[in-house]
Amino acid sequence: MQVTLADIRFSRDDWRLEADADFGRGIHFVAGAVGSGKSTLALIMAGLIAPDEGSVVRDGMNAAMLSLQFPESHVTGWTVEEEVRSWGLEPATVLRDVNLAEKAGTRPLELSRGELKRLELACILALKSELLILDEPFCSLDCVQKRTLCRRLAERTAGITIIFSHEQYILPAVDTVWEMKEGRLVNHGTVPHALEVWGDTAPLHIRWAVARGIHPANIRIEDVQEAACRTCD
Amino acid sequence: MIELEGIRHHILAIPRLSLEKGRTAVIGANGSGKTTLLELCAGIAVPHRGNVLIDGRGPRSCEVGWVCEFPDRNLLFERVGDEIASPLRFRHVEEAVIRERVACISEHLAISHLLERRTRDLSGGEKALVSLATASITHPQVLVIDEADSHLDAATAARTYDLVEEVQAPYMLYCTQDMHHAAAADHVLYLAQGRICAYGPPDAVFSALRKTCFYPPLWRLDQCR
Repeated sequence: MQVTLADIRFSRDDWRLEADADFGRGIHFVAGAVGSGKSTLALIMAGLIAPDEGSVVRDGMNAAMLSLQFPESHVTGWTVEEEVRSWGLEPATVLRDVNLAEKAGTRPLELSRGELKRLELACILALKSELLILDEPFCSLDCVQKRTLCRRLAERTAGITIIFSHEQYILPAVDTVWEMKEGRLVNHGTVPHALEVWGDTAPLHIRWAVARGIHPANIRIEDVQEAACRTCD
Repeated sequence: MIELEGIRHHILAIPRLSLEKGRTAVIGANGSGKTTLLELCAGIAVPHRGNVLIDGRGPRSCEVGWVCEFPDRNLLFERVGDEIASPLRFRHVEEAVIRERVACISEHLAISHLLERRTRDLSGGEKALVSLATASITHPQVLVIDEADSHLDAATAARTYDLVEEVQAPYMLYCTQDMHHAAAADHVLYLAQGRICAYGPPDAVFSALRKTCFYPPLWRLDQCR
């Protein structure tokens, strides 16, 4: 099971994107500044836009599932309940899990932004897609919901998960770190080695640790805390 | 003071609250009423019950600047310079005065180089700064920023925060999910299910939240060291 980006090139006016990479099983984290091309690459990987050159090869899996950055882009149902059904899911279970059972009859766009994001993510995660691409899944979520999402992602033991995010604090454990840098997709390698070479777009706690010579096992703040306290003792 | 009394509005239930001058960060879970509270203080919504007074006057009689979570949804004009000038043009302020004010605020926020650009070509961070300039050009008494940092990367958000400091509004209210940004305010207001659970200086509010994930994450690391 693998997704290959074979010499992808894409440009718009004077802005360019290049990627040549293989994504295998596990959780991949793609960092990068606003405007660096994360969302565009996510759309290309999901097959929603075609690159100018190169190709995306999905080996050993069916379609990709993409969670868009703005949750209202996914809405197709008039009510929260219909919205869940539109994903082919049973509303009662999904809504109970995300604590929105009371809002079953509410219009999706009347939910708060964070509530809508958590509803769409719950539906997408429930589908257990082999290739799951998440564009800024933490945006608009509060810290409790971000932690819940991290737990859900950790439960995904099969398939390929690719997280495009600029989240700085609450993150799941990942296998590989990438970065969109000056229009190119850069592979920082596997964790924990990747943390040493990541640089400016690394989460604040990772930069905090690296600056102090602390070596966390992964990118979660708990990993930094554990490594820091161990060094301390 | 921004005074709220007897407020019942959607999820919000605030018997009495007085917000001091300076920067107030509003924090809380999704759906806790943060945006609703900001909308009441900005005069975008009028409470079903109760009153909001800013130094004794209703918000709709005050100069208020609003920066939306999605800055591009507030953008009306194609050219950045026209967008920033728009609140003054809508008031038929003299063009010479407008030009001077646009030049001044753009220089202040370090976005003079964007004035001739098309608003739709800007990056997310640039849009946030243009929105901030547009909201500030009338010298508002209250500047309200609704989670404009949630779609910015850390470096862009930090630059935006620094520049927000340059805007000297007597009252600045902002909501955020970045607790370190909240901790930089003069006061923090913590909402849960539409109720005010804590209001005061950041140290005091966050020490009450120590056992929750709202406690600024890096503070825990520093304590460990």
